[in-house]
Amino acid sequence: MPILNIQLAAQDPSGNQVPSLVALQQRGPVVQVSVSVEQSIAQQLLAQGLSLPTPERGFALIDTGATSTCIDDAAATRLGLPAIDVVTVASASHASTQQNVHPIQIEVIGLPITISAPRAIAAPLAAQGLLVLIGRDVLQHCTLFYNGPAGSVSLSV
Amino acid sequence: MSVLEQERAFYAAHEAEWMAAHPSRFVVVKGERLLGAFDSIEDALAAGAAAFGPQSFLVRRLGEKPAEVNVPALTLGLLRANPQHTAGRSGS
Repeated sequence: MPILNIQLAAQDPSGNQVPSLVALQQRGPVVQVSVSVEQSIAQQLLAQGLSLPTPERGFALIDTGATSTCIDDAAATRLGLPAIDVVTVASASHASTQQNVHPIQIEVIGLPITISAPRAIAAPLAAQGLLVLIGRDVLQHCTLFYNGPAGSVSLSV
Repeated sequence: MSVLEQERAFYAAHEAEWMAAHPSRFVVVKGERLLGAFDSIEDALAAGAAAFGPQSFLVRRLGEKPAEVNVPALTLGLLRANPQHTAGRSGS
């Protein structure tokens, strides 16, 4: 089983490196990912002679509090992802919103496998510097070890 | 008209009928047309893409109630949180 070990790094506003345990507390467990259209769809589109958009690369926050994986809505548009459903996402601060559901494939950079997230929810994540929130629908296939004192995260799929 | 509105209305109108014929299978709907029922979501996605290319189409599992989507980091705005005081630990 391949294991990805991540030592978090971050800088303070002055540009000085902060300890890993502080970086992990501030940024959360983030990994670099590449996102593309879900494999079952990609194969069909290629068979029809259509070209696939370049995968989007960015940061994914591993969010054990999220039931569902989310993808940045602007990135979903750039990838030309088809919507396969619409869900209502409740909010404590404003009216509930209806968000599109997209089938995506996530490659965690550093792990030699890809993960399918056939029902990822579009959400405005780019403003937070994120491409993806990895929720429990994906984490049900993973083992995650959060080492707060060391400022590191281990993820295996 | 919002995204997949026609498909969702068509699904709601026929869900019970399809559920009786294809319990727990994944269905693909485009417009007011049922493309078919499939054993897995991957099969449903492949069939939908084969029929409709990169267009949107509805995929749902029959008999499955809409899951409650709970993403506190989004709904509570926690992605913007910047606590001034970090939590510590007590005891030995």
